[in-house]
Amino acid sequence: MVDQYVIAAALAGVAWGALAGLFVHRWWYRKRAAAQRQTTVDAQSTALAQAEERHAAEVRQHEQQARELHALVDTLRDDLAQQSVSAEEAREALNALHLQKDEWLQQATRLSTEAGRLRHLSATFERWHEQMISLMSQNHDMHAKNNELSSIVRHVLIVSLNASIEAARAGAAGRGFSIVASEVRSLAARSQELSKSYHDSLNRNDLITTATFQDIQAGGKMIAASLASVEALAGQIQSRLEQATT
Amino acid sequence: MISQQAKDSIERIFLYSARTRLPVDSSDACDITALDAQQANTALASHIVVLTISSIAFRFLLVLHFNDDQATRDYYLRESEERSLAEALMEVGNLCCGAINQQLVEFFPDLGMSTPYQLSGACVPYLTELKPGYLAAFRVSIGANVQLGATLCICASSPVDFVAYVNEAEESTGELELF
Repeated sequence: MVDQYVIAAALAGVAWGALAGLFVHRWWYRKRAAAQRQTTVDAQSTALAQAEERHAAEVRQHEQQARELHALVDTLRDDLAQQSVSAEEAREALNALHLQKDEWLQQATRLSTEAGRLRHLSATFERWHEQMISLMSQNHDMHAKNNELSSIVRHVLIVSLNASIEAARAGAAGRGFSIVASEVRSLAARSQELSKSYHDSLNRNDLITTATFQDIQAGGKMIAASLASVEALAGQIQSRLEQATT
Repeated sequence: MISQQAKDSIERIFLYSARTRLPVDSSDACDITALDAQQANTALASHIVVLTISSIAFRFLLVLHFNDDQATRDYYLRESEERSLAEALMEVGNLCCGAINQQLVEFFPDLGMSTPYQLSGACVPYLTELKPGYLAAFRVSIGANVQLGATLCICASSPVDFVAYVNEAEESTGELELF
């Protein structure tokens, strides 16, 4: 009976021990699980903190980038404004150039037209030529008349000389006639001098008239040639400006 | 107002032009001798042909003297008897003056030349009335019998100075284009 009790007590002790062991085991197991959970929680907390830190760093970085982008946008906006102003100025300058080019084209056209018109100055030179021919013809006519006058004067001189001879033959009766004949010879001699002087004046007139007219004529050709060069140049400028416009 | 080297240049140009243009045939002899200054404004023959080259700075008169004699007629009217001797000499003078003009235009781009005109030799003394800065006369003998004269007269309104040398090769061939 005692044995039974002992056995029972032993069994009971074993049972209690087992129970105690079980409880201890469960307690230890829970403790270890709690410790593992705590460890996990700690690890997750650390990871979370690190993630938050990274996130914060990324946020800061993004904010920095955003600030930089804003600054860049501001700079680009300023640049755009400046470029717009420059483009406007360039457009105005281009318009001014177009206007100026149109004005130049008009002036080149006008210059070309004027130069072409002035070429008709040759008609004026032709008119001068005709007048000079008329003047020289008149001089030639005066030469002929003067030669005729000179011939008459020479004849009068001979007649007066003959009259003087006849008066001398007449003796005292011809004295008065001799005085008249002498006076006529004197007048004829003066006329001859005058005729010679007139002849010299006509020759002088011929040379100066011819030299002056030829200077005008040659000068006219010089001007006409120069105007032709100006006209050709103006035409070239006009052509280039028209090509540039189209 | 006209420099000595310009006067020398004008003389060289005239000698070249006269030798190449005054003879009817390029093989005909052409002897040109300068006359002294006293004869520069005297008539060298009974008739003259006058031509003018004008520029901005000066005018140049070429006076060609000729006599209407048989020798001159025979020489210049060999082929065309229709025209007068004066017309023939005006044509020759025009060629000679054209050659001078062609040489001068190298130095003076603005030049013009007149048509020739015939006057009496008695007009020559009045060249001094134009107040020339250069006046020179030459006797021109062409062939055996033809005697011509030439007077160069330059009236300058501004200083004239240039140096011209005639291309001897062109002078020898006489193939210079005139116009």
